[in-house]
Amino acid sequence: MIKIQNLSKVFRTEEVETKALNEISLEVKQGEFVTIMGASGCGKSTLLNIIGLLDDVTSGSYQLLGNEIRGLKESEKSKIRKQNIGFVFQNFNLIDELSVYDNIELPLIYNNVSASERKKKVEAMAERLAISHRLRHFPQQLSGGQQQRVAVARALINDPKIILADEPTGNLDSKNGNEVMELLTDLHANGATILMVTHSDYDASFSQKTILMKDGIVLSEKLNSRNVNVLA
Amino acid sequence: MYQIRKNKLFTVLNILGLSIGIAGLVFSILYWNDEQSYNAWNPENENVFQVVNDQPRSGFLAYNVMPLGARLKEVSPEVEEYCNFYPAYSGALVEYADKKELVSKVLKSEGSFFSFFPFEFIRSNAKTALKEKNNAAISEETARKLFDDEDPIGKSIKVGETNCVVGGVYRISGKSSVEPAIVIREEFEENIKKNAENWGSHTAFLVVKLKNPANKETVEKQIHQIYVDKQATKEAKEKGISTEAYIKNYGLDIPYLEQLKTARLHSKVNNGYQEGSGNYQFLLIMLGLSVLILVLSIVNYINLATANAIKRAKEVGVRKIIGAAKRQIVGQFLFETVITTSFSILFALVIVELLLPYYNEFLSKNMILSSGQFYIQLIAVFLLTVIAAGVFPALYIANFDVLKVLKGNYSRSKRGTWLRNGMLIFQFAIASFFIIGSYIVYQQVNFMMDKDLGFNGNQVIDIPFNEAKNPADYEMIRNELLRIKGVEEVSSGNFSFGGGGYFTTVFGYKGKDIEVENMSMEFGLFDLMGIQMAEGRKLSEKFASDTINSVIINKTTAALMGEKDPIGKEFDFRDDGDKPGIRRLKVVGVVEDFNSYGPQREIPPMLFYHLKTVSESSYLSRIYVKISPENMEQTISDIEKFWSTKLDTRYPFRYDFVDKSFARTYQGYISQRNLFSLLNFVVILIALFGLFALASYSIQNRMKEIAIRKVLGAETKTLLATLSKQYVVFCIIGFVIALVPAYLLLNKWLENFAYRIDISPIPFITGLFFLMALTLAVVISKAYQATRVNVLNYLKYE
Repeated sequence: MIKIQNLSKVFRTEEVETKALNEISLEVKQGEFVTIMGASGCGKSTLLNIIGLLDDVTSGSYQLLGNEIRGLKESEKSKIRKQNIGFVFQNFNLIDELSVYDNIELPLIYNNVSASERKKKVEAMAERLAISHRLRHFPQQLSGGQQQRVAVARALINDPKIILADEPTGNLDSKNGNEVMELLTDLHANGATILMVTHSDYDASFSQKTILMKDGIVLSEKLNSRNVNVLA
Repeated sequence: MYQIRKNKLFTVLNILGLSIGIAGLVFSILYWNDEQSYNAWNPENENVFQVVNDQPRSGFLAYNVMPLGARLKEVSPEVEEYCNFYPAYSGALVEYADKKELVSKVLKSEGSFFSFFPFEFIRSNAKTALKEKNNAAISEETARKLFDDEDPIGKSIKVGETNCVVGGVYRISGKSSVEPAIVIREEFEENIKKNAENWGSHTAFLVVKLKNPANKETVEKQIHQIYVDKQATKEAKEKGISTEAYIKNYGLDIPYLEQLKTARLHSKVNNGYQEGSGNYQFLLIMLGLSVLILVLSIVNYINLATANAIKRAKEVGVRKIIGAAKRQIVGQFLFETVITTSFSILFALVIVELLLPYYNEFLSKNMILSSGQFYIQLIAVFLLTVIAAGVFPALYIANFDVLKVLKGNYSRSKRGTWLRNGMLIFQFAIASFFIIGSYIVYQQVNFMMDKDLGFNGNQVIDIPFNEAKNPADYEMIRNELLRIKGVEEVSSGNFSFGGGGYFTTVFGYKGKDIEVENMSMEFGLFDLMGIQMAEGRKLSEKFASDTINSVIINKTTAALMGEKDPIGKEFDFRDDGDKPGIRRLKVVGVVEDFNSYGPQREIPPMLFYHLKTVSESSYLSRIYVKISPENMEQTISDIEKFWSTKLDTRYPFRYDFVDKSFARTYQGYISQRNLFSLLNFVVILIALFGLFALASYSIQNRMKEIAIRKVLGAETKTLLATLSKQYVVFCIIGFVIALVPAYLLLNKWLENFAYRIDISPIPFITGLFFLMALTLAVVISKAYQATRVNVLNYLKYE
């Protein structure tokens, strides 16, 4: 599903040149739940942004669903992104001026889904994530865990091929964090492909594979022993 | 100060906007002060009243019958003194020894004039200046011109044809409704004597001084009683009906006493005094518009300050935590406003100083930037601006909740957004008002300029005589002029194009009183001016009766007579000239209506007859000459040579092109149109700047939202629509708010015109379209920038 070969990303300012990613290669297959870990500044977020088509590549190759991404125009990337990728952020990134319902609905609007269809989908999704009673609320009126649920709902509403989660529990207490992780595990169990960045070993233990990064290179890859299905 | 340096562009624009607003207000204040200062110096301004009359056919006029003043003094114990004077200044050549000066403001008055306008006397005094019948009082300036350093008292001068002795020199103390350069009494007093029993002709201005101004209404009743006795009863007897029936059928003047104090701006009559009336409506328009512009720029300031405050919220939060009291924070922000406003006022004064000459020319005034009153007002403007612009944002900022601010939750204050949006709507409303308004003004002025005037003044020059000639001289003058190469046609008429006839007369026809302008003329004037006949014939030397009793009326008169076929109809017409009596006149033609006062004025009923027909109008006051376009300068110089050697050796030669002098009658409205267009431009500029700044800040605040939407797949197009939508809504709301005031006020303004356009939807549609286009241009350009930024900057590190 995701195939990255010799990918580099260089940030240039007037004085310094920083190699955020240095000749990285990795692959994520359909249905995998992969965690990227590493210290701050190791390049894991940059990698996630590149995979999410939010950032450009300096050199190397990135194939998403078998298509080379490098060199695509902004509008083409935007199209691929809205059809295939769902984002979950550490700080939720909900739009405060819009209600929960409107927030979840947004990706559907941008994908030109009809109004009646949208209503059906949003309600079904809210049901699934147990936030139906919060649809009329505004993000500021919800707890962090609830907000992240809304963000997950928004990420899933479009049936994306892959979910990118950037420290999804970073702003949550352990109880809410657990809930979100269980949600992700659940999604994975139902076949979703998930790529997650985190600091937390505990969160990483929910995934199948952990990639450890340092200074822009992949340090190690290991398969996690914990089997979620067994515990559940 | 740090803030000022940091936000250079916005600060400069802010100061510029405020400066323009303040400069506009300063201009209006100067105008206001100038108009309000009229007669303010005059210690008698509460006791002196002008007698004006609401006349049955003409409305309010300041002209009075000559015996009224004397009669009123006899019957009224409330009246202390009265003074008749001639309704216009006369121009005269004034001679002393071998010096000659052309003086345009000679006032012919009764001797009591200085008791009503007590100017400061620098030689002699108000009581003795006009003591003798042949005395003349002269202004300081006239004295300097004629006498240099000599003492003028007792010296003989010749004013026109009259020999006088200078009895006093006065200095005009301040703006006055009458500002004569010379006052003489003998000629006018003789005239009064001659007309001591003439209760029919309104030919003089009359001022009275009351012992107590509260008795105004009593005196008005006394005057009315005099009218009943001297006019109504007498006329009724002649017609053989009762006085009541006469008044009912023909009407009677209703006298009204108008206090000198308010005469300049609130007079019932237009130009009731020699120095004219102030245009109160225009003064209010100026004042209103300048206040609007200032408010607009203050709104900009507030909007920017509060929007900016969000950026500075952290600064305030930190200051509060380290112990600043609310008062100190308010003080700091007020101080910033004081500095900005001070800069603005200084800059505004520079603008005013630079533009004042043009403004003076536009208003025909001579205003300067001084006087204590003005500086006090300037300080008031300063304080008001500081309060309006400074206090609100300061309180707004000082009331930020510290905790919320530091947690980063500050930018979503609904209250501040609401207020800013409200102000933005208000700005849209003002801008809409200006766009619609100046469009309608533009339409009306163009309508006026394009109107068919009914005559053609192209290539026709109007040469006035300084002293009227005998009509018998006309043939000689005409023949001499026609001999000059380039002169195509010559005629004469005692009326001007732009100024109309010189006086009106009332005649009765089938039980109706009709007041007509006397338009005496020579044969051929209609041909010369391209004026078309509607029916009947023109006057011609071929008919002997055409210099005796043939007249031509215009269509307006014909309509008033109610006569379908007026040709051949006769009526009696009173002649108050040197051969007084009743003339029996016969209509031989009807002329198409043409405009004699300017396109904004209604065409009055007119009566045309030959110079010799009615003695009251039997003189030669101006010659009309049509000249060929080739070698015009040579032709005019030849005419001048003939004129100043043969016809008028004393006065300098004057002439004017008829079309140009006519255009001057509506020059004021063209200036108003240009002024509105200029203001419109300024207002739109300020409003757009406000919009630009506000959109910048608001979009800045929404960057995170924009980034999220982009991540979720919003295309640029969709994003632009999302961002512009609210401004389009505000624009429409503002426009709707402006609709009704714009319609009502412009309708009011259009009432000034006899011939006016109807307000059509076009200015409104154009206005909305224009405003919307500008709004979208500003917002979309700003929003487009926003959609181009890298979303990563806003998603991660909030």
